Amino acid sequence: MRIFDPHIHMTSRTTDDYAAMYDSGVRALVEPAFWLGQPRTSIGSFIDYFDSLLGWERFRAAQYGIRHHATIALNPKEANDPRCVPVLDEIPRYLTKEGVVAVGEIGFDSMTPAEDEAFSRQLELAGEFSLPALVHTPHREKLRGTQRTLDLVRESKVDPSMVVVDHLNETNVHMVKDFGAWMGFSIYPDTKMDEERLVAILHEYGTEKVLVNSAADWGKSDPLKTASTAKAMLAGGFSEDDVDRVLWQNPIAFYGQSGALILDPIPGFDGAELGGAGETFEGNSLLRGVRA
Amino acid sequence: MTTTPSFPAFSIGYGTNGFTDHPLPDVLELLHELGYGAVALTLGHPHLDPFDPDLEARLKCLRSRLQDLDLRIVIETGTRFLLNRREKHRPTLVDEDAATRVDFLRRAIDIAAVLNAECVSFFSGILPPEASPESGWKRLETRVADVLGHAAGKGVLLAVEPEPGMLVETVADALELRNRLGNPEGLGVTVDIGHCVVVEPGGVRGALMEAGALLANVQLDDMRSVAHEHLPFGEGEVDVALALKTLAELDYRGVAAVELPRHSYDAPGLATRSMAALQAAWREAQAGKAAEEWLQESVARIAADPGALPAVFATASRTVGRGPLQPATDPTAVLHGSNSDYARGELIRRLREFRPPEDLAESLLSLYSRGDSSERRGVLRGLGSMAVDEPDLPVPVITAGLRLTAEALRTNETGLVAAAVGPFAAAFLDQHNWRHAVLKLIFMGVSIAAVTDLDERADDELARMAADFAAERQAAGRPVPDDVGLLLGRAASPSISRKES
Repeated sequence: MRIFDPHIHMTSRTTDDYAAMYDSGVRALVEPAFWLGQPRTSIGSFIDYFDSLLGWERFRAAQYGIRHHATIALNPKEANDPRCVPVLDEIPRYLTKEGVVAVGEIGFDSMTPAEDEAFSRQLELAGEFSLPALVHTPHREKLRGTQRTLDLVRESKVDPSMVVVDHLNETNVHMVKDFGAWMGFSIYPDTKMDEERLVAILHEYGTEKVLVNSAADWGKSDPLKTASTAKAMLAGGFSEDDVDRVLWQNPIAFYGQSGALILDPIPGFDGAELGGAGETFEGNSLLRGVRA
Repeated sequence: MTTTPSFPAFSIGYGTNGFTDHPLPDVLELLHELGYGAVALTLGHPHLDPFDPDLEARLKCLRSRLQDLDLRIVIETGTRFLLNRREKHRPTLVDEDAATRVDFLRRAIDIAAVLNAECVSFFSGILPPEASPESGWKRLETRVADVLGHAAGKGVLLAVEPEPGMLVETVADALELRNRLGNPEGLGVTVDIGHCVVVEPGGVRGALMEAGALLANVQLDDMRSVAHEHLPFGEGEVDVALALKTLAELDYRGVAAVELPRHSYDAPGLATRSMAALQAAWREAQAGKAAEEWLQESVARIAADPGALPAVFATASRTVGRGPLQPATDPTAVLHGSNSDYARGELIRRLREFRPPEDLAESLLSLYSRGDSSERRGVLRGLGSMAVDEPDLPVPVITAGLRLTAEALRTNETGLVAAAVGPFAAAFLDQHNWRHAVLKLIFMGVSIAAVTDLDERADDELARMAADFAAERQAAGRPVPDDVGLLLGRAASPSISRKES
């Protein structure tokens, strides 16, 4: 089984996690830029964090046989801090870097005008750089937040197929499905979504445009939730092909729209699982924008 | 992902002198099966005796076999004991009496004519102690003129091969011989790329370029610069990719045959591995070509719009790829970097030509601080290229370079640290920090092959540090990396003083 975790905050995880993820089948992942738990107070803090996502974290992942990608953005929570907002001027230069596969996480936290402003501006950047957008839906006011998210995407020039709306649950999945965006589900130990509920959602909505992630970070979370979801899918009547589609092919199809995926085998590790992925990558730049 | 590359206009062959434990028909079939398109046939024992009474019938059979297998052929005449059972290669064309050699070469020409061979390759010989160089040249001239006359009558091309230690030792000598003979059309040059690292002042590329349109035959092998010994690819100092690239550039259309006369004991293995090595080298040469094209376009773009530099620099790998620059010896690209590292480094080097030193220094700092790891490696490689070009770089560039080298050496990313111990560090980094950089590589498990000028800069203090490191590892019951041993035995003489801090 090969797994692509499309949303996980590895900066907060240990090398034991990397080793366990590799053992469970994880061969590639995307680490979205987000907040650090402790609020940032300056742009420099963002810059070092972004650089770390493209430098040290990618190197660390490769030591364990995993291809690491990133999404870059000013997160919604810190979009409310005037000391942080000027980082928006620094973001464009990160969007041309290799392995930067989307603008994200953007979206809403408390639905403030400042969040609205940062969200719209970064959707514009996604359009300008032909990158997908990773949109986080709020923990509070999720339904209203999702509705407002879809409205903003609609107002922008970004095609719904270039957007994943993440942290969905039973209450808002239909809105995103109808809109034509990708549906992201974060499988957590207790909160957002669990394996069994996800299997039920898959039975109802199908596997198309579904991304499943662990969203593991410094909070209570589990980087092996992608693998346990795969097992739950098999137990719930899905085929191995279905599992591969949800946990490998779908993330590649979505983030591959960036033309910036790095999926060539890592020297010293078995590249067999990547299979055709290398070729997908080779053709990736050709796909740039085509599906938009 | 990588498909077998088709070589350009020239054909890859293999010399039968590397197959002396196989009968000729088997050799031809094996070479065909392994993808070779030519054979370099050495006359004499064991494959084809030029004095065989049934020669005519054998040649007829051989010619049809070559046609069946679609193999081109060149005739080699370097049989060791064909003419003299006690002294190898004697008599030669520069000995006092060379009648049997001349007769043999005429016979080789006859055989080449029947087989429709590309050419007959021959060498001059080691000047005997009693002969003066001028008398040697005279002998050579007379005899080659004789043989050339015969070859012209048969429509066969001759190719003189420079050999280390012989009167005609370099391509320049071969051209001198041609010149003395009035530049006859029927005389070309054979170049053995291994010999080039031993005797050619311009190296492989220089020798091939010097031969230019006169190149009639090529022998492929590896060699160390200190010994005329034909080695399998990867065991010597020959830049095979550069050789193949140069041949393509010259639009060479003849045969380039692997020459491993001392490896018959494992001939099928060597032939298999040689083909793989040549294909890898060819891919490397092709990647180099993509990098060169990207470089030219990028330089033009930046010259027209200086502000385009960051974006051009960031997206290099989309065009030139991120595969290892030296796949055979450095598959992880840690030691010598990736194709895009190299291309970025070369771009920096070109910037030096049209950006004033202060601007260049600022660009280096900005590209590094705003770059990801691969861009940072590119900046460090660029510093290395500039240091190779200019021993005295402008002060602002050195200052910026030292700052970036120090930053890179502080990281724990193997590729960055390895890129920071190249020619720039060798030339400008103070001794204390240089020693720590070398030890850090060992600590990180990275080969010190990444270090430039290790021999020149290694000192007793580094040997002491390596010994302490080894003791610490031993005390912990952990293995000591082999490279530590290299450092222990490598202390340079104290007379070499370098920017001691």
